[in-house]
Amino acid sequence: MLNQPLQPFTPSALFEKLNFFGTLSESAMVTWALYAVFVFWTVYTLVAIYHWLKYSHASWVAFPAIAVHLFISFTLMFYALSGDMLFLSLLI
Amino acid sequence: MKEFELEPGEHVVKEVRKHWFLFLSGLLPFAIIAVIPFALPKLLMLAPPLAPYASLFDYNTPLMRAALGVWLLISWTGAWNAFTRYFLNVWVLTSKRIVSIKQRGYFSREVSSLFLTRVQDVTTDVVGVLPSLIGFGTIKVQSASEEVEFIMVGIPRPEQMRDLILRYVSLEPKTTGI
Repeated sequence: MLNQPLQPFTPSALFEKLNFFGTLSESAMVTWALYAVFVFWTVYTLVAIYHWLKYSHASWVAFPAIAVHLFISFTLMFYALSGDMLFLSLLI
Repeated sequence: MKEFELEPGEHVVKEVRKHWFLFLSGLLPFAIIAVIPFALPKLLMLAPPLAPYASLFDYNTPLMRAALGVWLLISWTGAWNAFTRYFLNVWVLTSKRIVSIKQRGYFSREVSSLFLTRVQDVTTDVVGVLPSLIGFGTIKVQSASEEVEFIMVGIPRPEQMRDLILRYVSLEPKTTGI
């Protein structure tokens, strides 16, 4: 393809939506910050649940403890996301 | 028990964790951290030069709502981590031995056993006003070999636990440990 003219690089639709190559919009930064926190939370929670299930000696406390953690965490996540519609628009 | 297998005729007598007061004390920093976003605007209002900054804490805006949600999520996860560590650290007294299970952190776990036949001395230590009033303290179990000493810190009703250990020690035939 040596005789073909060079095509200018075009960012993907996602990058355009987030205005990645310009100034990041406030809502986009919030969205990515939330993504980072939630990914960290997910990894952390999976590790903690692994320890609960492996080492809690089949205690009756394990499942309620995990359930309460997930319920409160998801409630807080929902609260954090409730004002950020860009996050929802990316998911849909 | 996944950490150790019970021998034939051996049964679990008691599982002990740290006193609930120590657990709640460990939660206190997380409670304070969680309250900061709500208390800070009110504290700023008390200092006239800083009062204009109180308006920054408007949790109706998406940014502040997200920040508050993440702040509380981190606080909650930290508190849950404290509970996880509280629950996974346990001492188990069986009819033949004492098992200490220490969960220092995730993927860092130590399980050690001391057979009752090797127990030489059991000491309780309750120091301070709160431990005396609420009823928690330290138990030191000295084994026949001088290096091995089991220390249970902050367990509830240490005297009862000591008596329980000594009762089962007296039931076990003494060995030289050789």
